[in-house]
Amino acid sequence: MLKKLWDLFIAFTRASNLGFGGGPSLVPLIKVETVDRYQWLDNEEFADALAIGNALPGPIATILAAYIGYKVAGWLGVLAALLGTVVPTVFIVVLLGSLIVKHSNSPELKAMLMAVRPVVVILVAQTAYDMGKKSFPGYSSWGIAVVTVALLYLVDIHPAFIIIAAMLFGWAAYGRTRKEKVRN
Amino acid sequence: MFFTQLWDLFMAFTRASNLGFGGGPAVIPLIKIEVVERYHWLTNAQFADALAVGNALPGPIATKLAGYVGYQVSGWLGVLVALIGTILPTVLAVVLLMGFLRKYTNSPILKGMLKGVRPVVIVLIAQTAFEMGSGSFPNLMTWGVALATVVSLNWLKLHPALIIAISMVFGLLVFR
Repeated sequence: MLKKLWDLFIAFTRASNLGFGGGPSLVPLIKVETVDRYQWLDNEEFADALAIGNALPGPIATILAAYIGYKVAGWLGVLAALLGTVVPTVFIVVLLGSLIVKHSNSPELKAMLMAVRPVVVILVAQTAYDMGKKSFPGYSSWGIAVVTVALLYLVDIHPAFIIIAAMLFGWAAYGRTRKEKVRN
Repeated sequence: MFFTQLWDLFMAFTRASNLGFGGGPAVIPLIKIEVVERYHWLTNAQFADALAVGNALPGPIATKLAGYVGYQVSGWLGVLVALIGTILPTVLAVVLLMGFLRKYTNSPILKGMLKGVRPVVIVLIAQTAFEMGSGSFPNLMTWGVALATVVSLNWLKLHPALIIAISMVFGLLVFR
């Protein structure tokens, strides 16, 4: 049991600490550890777990960690896999963050941050662009985007309402038409 | 006072994480709304700094932001509370509803809902970039940095973490 927990911790620590670019970039690394190396689950079940990760809100990496951790070693497994995923990088982030606050008046740090901020703006814009390339299959998707922009800037509504409304719209517009095609 | 702060942290990250469909990056705009606009824990520029640190390191971005913001607001307890808010609800859902989820994640209804929400997520992320942009371009040279970033990402295919490191060295040499 302890061996299993340790393996879970190490597997998710390795996957998480080698994946730059946020949760989605960790998915292939998690697959290498859990399917190829430790064979806790096969390709098909990994695809199921990933589908759940994509369907639920929140970070994908921690959802995969919970799913696989529970399967391998129950609740303790969930804990071990989550600790491996989260703790090492959070520790470093907190230390760097406190350094930034502590030295916020140093001209060196100010100069570094001044140069890094435009980079971050572009990185976030690029994320929107990359995700957008695959997310506008039809005119109705553009319609949703235009309505979202209008609501955000004209009505100043909380995005929660827009997200829920878009999901209901998606259910009505895309969810039912394909129902007959489902084999079961 | 301290406890209301911890509770606010918990609620802020629970809300952000549980409305973000599409993994960590989809959560970023919602975290920004909570942290910058609702609670004013960070300014737009400080949020950009947090994202810079987060993008320079490996691992999930949502939990890194939770750690960063949690610590600035209430120290290590804040880190713990923000992390729990970020991951606990979905983790519980995964374990307790595993059978149900495995059955329905491939249903056309859920796929349709996710298809409907995706354009919203993208607009939110684009808006985040736009808003962080105000305050991040104080002079012409910073526009040059932005342009160089676009080129490095799309044509040179440099890794984002590497671009962040290079820009910091550049800033140290040029902006000081």
